[in-house]
Amino acid sequence: MRVVLIVGRVLDPQGFVVKAKAGRIFVNQETYLMQPADRCALEAALRIKDGTEAEVVVLPRRVLEDDDVLRRALAVGGDRAVALTGEQFAEADDGAMAGVLAAAVGRLEPVDLLLTGATTLDTGQGQLGVRLAEALGWPQIVGGWDVGIVDQNVEVVCRGEGGYVTCRVGLPAVVTVVPGALKLRYADGMRLINVYRDEGVVERWDVDDLVGEDAPAALLENRGREFPPERERGDRAAGNVTEMAQAAADALRQWVR
Amino acid sequence: MDFTFAPEHVALRRMIREFAQAEVVPLAMEIDREHRVPQETMRKLGEMGLLGVCFPQEYGGMGAGEIGYCILMEELGRVCTSTTTNVGAHIGIGAMVIYLDGNEEQKKRYLTPLARGEKIAAFGLTEPNAGSDAAAIRTRAVREGDSWILDGGKVFITNGGYADIITVMAVTDPALGARGGVTAFIVETDWEGFQVAREEDKMGIRGTSTAELVFEELRVPQENVLGKVGEGFVSFMKSLDMGRLTLGAACLGGAQASLEWAVRWAGTRKQFGAELAHKQSIQWMIANVATEVEALRSLVYRVGWMVDMGQPFTQLAAMCKLYGSEVASRAVDTALQIHGGLGLSRDFPLELAFRDARIAEIFEGTNEVQRIVIASNIFRERGVRIRP
Repeated sequence: MRVVLIVGRVLDPQGFVVKAKAGRIFVNQETYLMQPADRCALEAALRIKDGTEAEVVVLPRRVLEDDDVLRRALAVGGDRAVALTGEQFAEADDGAMAGVLAAAVGRLEPVDLLLTGATTLDTGQGQLGVRLAEALGWPQIVGGWDVGIVDQNVEVVCRGEGGYVTCRVGLPAVVTVVPGALKLRYADGMRLINVYRDEGVVERWDVDDLVGEDAPAALLENRGREFPPERERGDRAAGNVTEMAQAAADALRQWVR
Repeated sequence: MDFTFAPEHVALRRMIREFAQAEVVPLAMEIDREHRVPQETMRKLGEMGLLGVCFPQEYGGMGAGEIGYCILMEELGRVCTSTTTNVGAHIGIGAMVIYLDGNEEQKKRYLTPLARGEKIAAFGLTEPNAGSDAAAIRTRAVREGDSWILDGGKVFITNGGYADIITVMAVTDPALGARGGVTAFIVETDWEGFQVAREEDKMGIRGTSTAELVFEELRVPQENVLGKVGEGFVSFMKSLDMGRLTLGAACLGGAQASLEWAVRWAGTRKQFGAELAHKQSIQWMIANVATEVEALRSLVYRVGWMVDMGQPFTQLAAMCKLYGSEVASRAVDTALQIHGGLGLSRDFPLELAFRDARIAEIFEGTNEVQRIVIASNIFRERGVRIRP
């Protein structure tokens, strides 16, 4: 069985200070953490590996400057890690990255399960897993607290109204895990030392090779880095709740490729 | 000169810091109140391979070198002196003497399970009449066929109450004294004739076992002689050199923690209309501590690097222990002063740190002994042999 895990990094909140009056963020120490939700997804992947001898392959959320977060995943038990290179994708958003990662998953076939965090600490967004499921055409379960494999299905415990519900879907599938769900195990010390000493332990794939001429375009436009961001007036939906929801869905579909 | 840590050491520090915050901090005050060893912490450290951090991977260790060991001690020293002491006695002196002078069979049989954390080590040197004067030990080992019979006892042995393996120094030839008449042995604590007589009830590091041991016709096989017969004193002194460096690293962690507490308090506590940080007297106190911490950091990691490069380090290791213990004491004293009356409250970890810091100036060779070691080395380089 092959499990693909998508992990990302985020600036350590302890290293910066937000000064609202000055309208600036002062970065005193630029250190990075693994996204908290991705840590939980990593632990979920490793627990599946413990029970099924699955292979865990780690991919990054972004084209990264360094591969530390991938090495961290290897140190705690990941089997293989692939970094993505390609400067033109350095600032790519989740929409574009979903296309790139779908191509990477295609290269890794057969893949049975894809795990990632449900939200990111910095943006609060949970788009990547969902968009990746759409791009792959796989079923998805969002916001899992625990993940297990039963026969050829993935079984996910999610928080529902008034308690927890168990969702089950056939493989292959995409599952996103909420932050705080699972505590990531500590690395084996010898493995950690060896992973960080071996320069070649992380493979490198060029994004151009992966997507070729079908490079997915970004969905978001970067208009600047002002803090706070400039507000814009949007469209107003009218009607009852059902009509407003339909109007909102139609508007969003115009932007989805 | 490149002062950056290697990527594996950066990753190691990060892992240990996470572990320390999650697993060690919650127990620090509890083990002090209950006067117990945090066996659960030692087990988890063992499972992660950290109890063999500096030993080669071929013997079950992590292979992170002396720099890795210093990082471990510094990070644990930031949060709990008792845990640091337990770990230091296990790795830095108990197991270290087997690594330095054991033969291949002894390393496979004893060092490997110690490095993996499957067993715990202690270092049996001190006796009632032999503290700083380590050569005055009286525990006797007499050859009988293919064994040695040990009779005597040790005091103030860290980890002594629960260790599986103890490296013991005993007199094998009273006529020769320390030079040729003392031998090191590897003793398993489940052998007949070994007894833990009592545990010390201490002012500080109450999360450690400090035990009095008794050996009564304890039979030790010949193959458990460590190094050569008669060369035990040299073996133990080599091990103490290594232990002194990492004790300095532990003191660095403690001093850093004290500095952080002091800065945090001075930045929030308001008196006379402003935070304490705006008072010049407080600024000077903070500056003094911060300067000493940075100087200690440079010393510790430079010496760690020297050990990993195979360079002589005895004099500088003694400086690490001497300077580190005094910096840690001054730092926690300053932090206590800045906190005022609140510093004495048992609701905060500062009073625990204050009580725990004191031992560093005493064990593993008192600071007076360190000064003798340093001076002896300095004068020897100039052709003068001083007699302490």
